[in-house]
Amino acid sequence: MRWFARLCSTALGVAALPTLAGAAPGTGTAPLPEETIPSVTPLPAQWPKSWVLINDLNFNAIVDGRVVVVDTASADHPLKAIVRSAQFGNSLYSAKRQEILTAETFYSRLTRGERTDAITFWDMKDLKPKGEIVLPGGKRQLSVVYPHLFQFTNDEKWALVANFTPAQSVTVVDLDARKVLNEIDLPGCSQIYPTGPRGFSSLCADGSIFSATLDAQGKVATSKTIKTVQDIDNQPLFSNPAMVGQTAWFISQKGLLQGFDLSGEVAKVIPGSFSVGTAPGATPEWRPSGWQVINSDAAGRLYVLMNPAGKEGSHKDGGTEVWVIDPAKKARVARIALKGQSIAVAVTREAQPHMVVSRADGAIDVYDAASGAFVRSLGATVAFSPMVITPVE
Amino acid sequence: MRGFDKLAERFARSVARGTSRRSLLATLGMGITGAAVFPVLPVARASTHPGGTPHQPVTSGNPQDPGDRTTCDYWRYCAIDGFLCTCCGGSVSSCPPGTEMSPITWIGTCTNPADNRAYIISYNDCCGVSSCGQCLCNRNEGDRPQVRTQSNNDYNWCLGSESSVYNCSTAVIVGVALEQPK
Repeated sequence: MRWFARLCSTALGVAALPTLAGAAPGTGTAPLPEETIPSVTPLPAQWPKSWVLINDLNFNAIVDGRVVVVDTASADHPLKAIVRSAQFGNSLYSAKRQEILTAETFYSRLTRGERTDAITFWDMKDLKPKGEIVLPGGKRQLSVVYPHLFQFTNDEKWALVANFTPAQSVTVVDLDARKVLNEIDLPGCSQIYPTGPRGFSSLCADGSIFSATLDAQGKVATSKTIKTVQDIDNQPLFSNPAMVGQTAWFISQKGLLQGFDLSGEVAKVIPGSFSVGTAPGATPEWRPSGWQVINSDAAGRLYVLMNPAGKEGSHKDGGTEVWVIDPAKKARVARIALKGQSIAVAVTREAQPHMVVSRADGAIDVYDAASGAFVRSLGATVAFSPMVITPVE
Repeated sequence: MRGFDKLAERFARSVARGTSRRSLLATLGMGITGAAVFPVLPVARASTHPGGTPHQPVTSGNPQDPGDRTTCDYWRYCAIDGFLCTCCGGSVSSCPPGTEMSPITWIGTCTNPADNRAYIISYNDCCGVSSCGQCLCNRNEGDRPQVRTQSNNDYNWCLGSESSVYNCSTAVIVGVALEQPK
């Protein structure tokens, strides 16, 4: 391709460039400087905390899903980079490893042929791939982007990958050794919530929560089940919790908040679930609604997308307000009206944090997290299906 | 129809068992559950063709099966989630040419407004061709979190097919329900 580029540059140079009307060529001003070819925009050594990663399912071409790197402080150049996250891909971001990891699925002929599931390591300094681990069995769970299908454990040295064939299991991977350690059967349970130093918990179809600790070979060392932690018929918990340290705050479709302490070897239920509250003007009632429906800020406050037309089946429609909850006080501390119906919410880790939401029309809006004041919209300029937002730390 | 009744009953009972007995879920997962799926759709719905001309109506011509099969309001779509195959080269009960119908399906129970019967609808996905991108429909009545596999429409149910690449979803009548839906 280099000869072609050179040919093009030469041709452009030779072609008579139209001059500005009335200006004689070569007089008055210096010509524009020559520019370097090739040129790739560098990334900053330290990614600014106004940046977020957004999972784009890319619904109209799911085989070409992505993670986009977005500067929420930039109204004119918000899209910084694109990382591949193919065919219902999942991703992990690690400031500590300075890597983005994607868990993806490929076919040798795009839509057909041999299936390969793999984890790819993308270096944050240039977003080039620097390694991969092939996952055996072609069984990686394919669904709309749930962050808790691909998670770190063991101090980010290992990762856990959810499988669904539809038999359920978890693959344990040693990231540093670039190898698969083990596969753990997980009948009846889904999602992976890292628990303790080396282990995970999952929610199960009978309403229980299951926890396992792992030994050095990635095998289950101990396990425990706590029965009836949720009422799936009447108060089902959204699968995406807000994490505050190692406390997971889940919200139910009707607005009940339930915390789980995941800092120990097994999950512990935090006593005293409580409601996000209610407000007038709803038909029939305010309910949480969205995809990434709840998230947290650095201070541990919870941000919940709320929809005033809450009813059975409304839970993925998106919210028109964010209700800010202080879980320590079990109280709502703010209501933030949104510019548009929004499906995902996150709060940046900037000194002056911003609340970032993705709207149902694909636009990304930015608010001052403390005051709730609208700051800017990035428009629908970064992703086709912006589902999950992860702030840079 | 007697055969269909039995089939529907078997599906319904299997699903009912799965909801209450965790131990059966693995078995359920091996073959019965089902299908179609997708999501979030407000995002995609809004951005697919904002302001574009809607699809021309497609009807059965049979007064006992009323409604436009290119719109989300059509009675069989009460629990569907994805691109409607009617808009993708297939039909409400048939996959587009070049795709493969997933053998594993998710089952819904929808009431036909013409005869007021509750029908068991099988939402088989069509697989092996990239996203159709036309006539996206997502209705979440009765949708439950992924923990209840057979009641969740966020899974890609192109399972058991040669390729897991999702193209569109059908809504096939597989029988008359024994009980009226809620």
